[in-house]
Amino acid sequence: MRSLKLGVAGMRGVIGSGLAPARIIDFASAFGTFLNGGSVIVARDTRISSDMVSHAVFSALLSCGCQVYDAGITSAPQLHFMVPHLKADGALLLGAGHQGAGWNAIIPLAANGAYFNSIQIQEMLDIYHSHRYQAMNWDKIGKVHSIPLDAGDQYLDALCSKVDVEAIRRAKFTVVADFCNGTGSVIAEKFASRLGIKMIAINNLLSGILPHEPEPRPRSGFQVQSIMAPLKADCGLVFNTDMSRLAVVTDTGETLSEEYTFPLIADYVLSKNPGCHTVVTNLCSTRTLDDIVAKYGCELEKTRVGQANMIDKMAETGAIMAGEGSGSVSVKGWVNGFDGFMAAAMLLESMAVRKMTVSGLAAALPRYFIVKKVINCPSSHAYAVIRSLKKHFADAKINEDDGLRFDWQDGWISLRAAATEPVIRMIAEYKNREMAVDRALYVRGLIERLVAS
Amino acid sequence: MTNLRKTLKVGVSGVRGIVGESLTPLLVSSFASSFGRYVGGGRVVIGRDTRPSGEMLEHAVVAGLLAVGCQPVILGIAPTPTVQLMVEEISANGGIAITASHNPVEWNALKFIGPKGMFLDSHEADELLDIYNQQDLNYAEEQDYRDVRQMPDAFEIHQKKIFKHIDVRAIRARKFKVAVDCCNGVGALFTRPFLEAMGCEVVTIFDRPDGVFERIPEPVAENLSALEEFAKTAGADIGFAHDPDGDRLAVVDNLGRAIGEQYTLVLAADHVLSENPGIVAANIQTTRALEDVAASYGCEVVYTKVGEIYVVEKMVELDAEIGGEGNSGGVIWRRIHPGRDSYVAMALILEMLAVSGQPLDAIVRSLPRYCNRTKKFQCPAFAAREIVRHFCRKYADQNPILLDGLRIRMNKSWILIRPSNTEPVLRLTAESTDEKEVSALLEQFSREISELQQQFTR
Repeated sequence: MRSLKLGVAGMRGVIGSGLAPARIIDFASAFGTFLNGGSVIVARDTRISSDMVSHAVFSALLSCGCQVYDAGITSAPQLHFMVPHLKADGALLLGAGHQGAGWNAIIPLAANGAYFNSIQIQEMLDIYHSHRYQAMNWDKIGKVHSIPLDAGDQYLDALCSKVDVEAIRRAKFTVVADFCNGTGSVIAEKFASRLGIKMIAINNLLSGILPHEPEPRPRSGFQVQSIMAPLKADCGLVFNTDMSRLAVVTDTGETLSEEYTFPLIADYVLSKNPGCHTVVTNLCSTRTLDDIVAKYGCELEKTRVGQANMIDKMAETGAIMAGEGSGSVSVKGWVNGFDGFMAAAMLLESMAVRKMTVSGLAAALPRYFIVKKVINCPSSHAYAVIRSLKKHFADAKINEDDGLRFDWQDGWISLRAAATEPVIRMIAEYKNREMAVDRALYVRGLIERLVAS
Repeated sequence: MTNLRKTLKVGVSGVRGIVGESLTPLLVSSFASSFGRYVGGGRVVIGRDTRPSGEMLEHAVVAGLLAVGCQPVILGIAPTPTVQLMVEEISANGGIAITASHNPVEWNALKFIGPKGMFLDSHEADELLDIYNQQDLNYAEEQDYRDVRQMPDAFEIHQKKIFKHIDVRAIRARKFKVAVDCCNGVGALFTRPFLEAMGCEVVTIFDRPDGVFERIPEPVAENLSALEEFAKTAGADIGFAHDPDGDRLAVVDNLGRAIGEQYTLVLAADHVLSENPGIVAANIQTTRALEDVAASYGCEVVYTKVGEIYVVEKMVELDAEIGGEGNSGGVIWRRIHPGRDSYVAMALILEMLAVSGQPLDAIVRSLPRYCNRTKKFQCPAFAAREIVRHFCRKYADQNPILLDGLRIRMNKSWILIRPSNTEPVLRLTAESTDEKEVSALLEQFSREISELQQQFTR
C-alpha cells in the first residue's frame, strides 16, 4: 500500500512505501523554514519507527537553524501543555495516534500548543511544495537540547490545579486503564497517585507494539472489560497511543461507544458552569450531545472533523469545551488540544462529586444507535463517490461542510473521506438499532459498487 | 545556493560538501540509505569529528540507515580510525565516518567503510553510487526495523588493542613530556588520556573539542608554528599535531622544530622494520627517505596511487608489515587495523624513543634528510590529463612510475606531476637531498607546465 497524506493533521503515511526519510526531512524542513528558526520541541510516541522519524526531523530542524528540545516519548496533551509553558516557538508531534501498526505521522503544533490551523498549514505546505528550504551555514545550525527533567510533573501540577482532586481522593476509586502501549504509560503511575486512585494499568509497556486496534472502540475495550468485575473496578479507561482519545468502560462491564465520552463529560461541565455557553463538536458526532447541550440551554457549534478545526473554532467562539465522537475532549482554560488525562480526571471528578457510578451516569444519557464503517476507497476518488450519492437521498436534509451529511427525522448518515487514510468513513445513527444497521448496510453496498465501477 | 557546482564532490573519498549549500540532510540521509542497502543491512558503525555540523549530519545518517532496516551503532565523537577498527571489532557490515578531515570548518563529508574496516575502493564506490542513482530504493517496513545502539566507549577498545602491541611499560618508565596540538578536533577528547595511560606528562593547545579550528587543519609544518613555540617553551620531549579526525599526525622534535609530515611515516617505519622487517607500501607522493630506511633493513618499498584505500589494498595483497602516506603524515600498521591512525603513530614513535634512549632530534639527524616541496597549478581536469600525457611521452626513457600522474627518479631527487582527485588542480612535487636542486627542479618544470597550460586551455 502506497500511502502518504498531507493536511491539517500533518503528514501521515505508511512507513516504507509512503513515509520515507526524504519526505520527513522535506516536511520538517518546511516547518523549520516556516518558523524561520526558533525553538522547537519534538515529542514522539512509542512506535518502533518513531525513532527514525525523530532522527530525520532533528536533522532537518537543525539545518534550518532551529534549537531542538527533545522531549523523547511524551504524550500529545503534555506537548500541547509544554509548548506555551516552555515558551517554545512550535513543536512537532511524532506518532500516528489512533492509526494502525505500520503508520506514522508528523504533526506541526503552533506556539500556543495547538495543531496548526488551516491557514498555518496551508502556508507551510506551500513551502513544502516549493522544495526550497532554509539551510544554515555551519556556524548557524542548531543544537539538540533536553527538556527539564520534571516536565511531566509540571504538567500534572497544572492538571491537578484544574480538577477537584480532594473529591476524587475521597472517593477512593479503583480504575482499570489500558494505555495501548502508548505514551500515556510514562506518567500513568504519577497521574494515579496524584489523584489518589488505585489504578490497574494494562498494556503500559513502551514496547512500540500495539496490543490491539489503537482506536478506542467498544471492540478494543474487551481486555479492560474482562477484568472489571474480578477487580471490582469503578471505572475502565481505554486510551489511544498518543492520549488524545478515551473510551469508557462502566462498572457493570459495558464498554460505552467512544461517542459517549464527550457527552458524559459535557453533561458534568455544563451542570457545574451554568449559563449560555458554546460547545464545539464536529458534523458527525452523536445526537446525544445535541440533547445534552440543549438541556442546559447552551449552543452547539458544528464544524468539520479534526482536532485542528475543533480547537480553532473553540478559540473563535470562546467555547467552554470541544470534543468529537472519536472520544476526544478539550476544555476551556486547559491545553489547546485534546487531552485523555484531563478527560479521565473530569470523568472521575463527576463520579465523585455527583456520587454516582459510571453506569449510572451513562444510563442518564439519551442513547442512540450508531454504526461506524470504514470503506476502502482511493482518496482521489472519494469525494466524487460521495457526491454521487446525493441523488439517492433526495428526501434528506443535506449538509456539505465536511463530506456529506444526510439528516432525516429519525436519524442521520455522514460520509466523508478520512483525512488520514485512503478510506471513506461512514457513520449512521438512529433511535432504533435495526434502522441504523439496515441503513448502514444499504449505503455501504451503494458505495462499494461505485468504487468497484 | 551559489556555486553548487563547486561545493559537492562525490567520489572514491566519499561525499563531501559545504554545509548549508550542498551537504543537506536530504542528500546525507539518501546516501546513508543507499549505503545501508549496499552493505545488505545489519550493523553500521557511525562516528563523527567535532565539527559543529556533525550532530545534524549524524541524525540524517541514523534516519537513513534505520529506514532501510540497518542497526546504527553510534560512537558519537570518535577518531576516524576508531570507526574503522570498530567495524571489524563488532563484525559490523560497514561504517560511516562523518568528517571532512583536514578541509576547512564549513565542509563536512561522509566516508564509507566496508565490512573489513577499510574505506570503499573505487569499484565499490561506483557500486554504491549506482544504488544511490536508482530512484526506486526500497525502504523497510516498520516490522523490519532495528533499534539504535550507543557505544560511547569505543576508543577504549581501540586503545587496548594498540597497547597490546606496544611496550607500554618501556614508555611509562621514561615519563615523557608531550606537547599536543589537538586542532580542536577529536584529539581534544582522546589524546590526553591515551598518552597519560602511557605515563606521559601531557600539555595541550587548541584543545576545545568544538571543531572551530584555530589553525589551518592540515598538519603540515607551515601550520604548526604555534605547537613549535608551545613545545619549546614547555620543554617537551616531543610534540604531536593532529588533524580534526585523528588519522594524520605530524611531529615536532625536542627542540621545538616540526620535522615535516613526511617523517612521521619514516620514523614509524624505521622502528617497526627494526623489529619486524617486511615489505613497505606507500603512496607515490612519499619521501625517498622511506626507501633509504627500508633499504637499511633490506626491505623494499612498493608504491601505490595516492589515497588510503590504495595503500591498504597493496598492503593486504603483499602482506606488508607497515605502510602509509608520507605526504599526509599517515601511518598504517596492519597489526592494529588497516587504516591511517595517528594513535598508532604516536605509540610507535614513543616506543622508538623509549627503546633507543636518544632524544628525537638525534634520531631525526641520523635519518637521510630530503627537502620536499609542492607547488599547485589551477588547471581544468582535462588539461591536467593532457599535461601528464605530454610528460609521459617526453620522459618515457627515464622509466617514470605511472601509477598516478608520473614520478620521475633522478640521481638524488625525484619529481611528481599529478592531477588532484578533489580539486581542479595539478600538483608538482620535487624532492632532493639538496635544497637548491629542489628549487631548480620546481623552476624548470613550472616553466614547462605553464607553457603547456596555455597550449591546452587555449
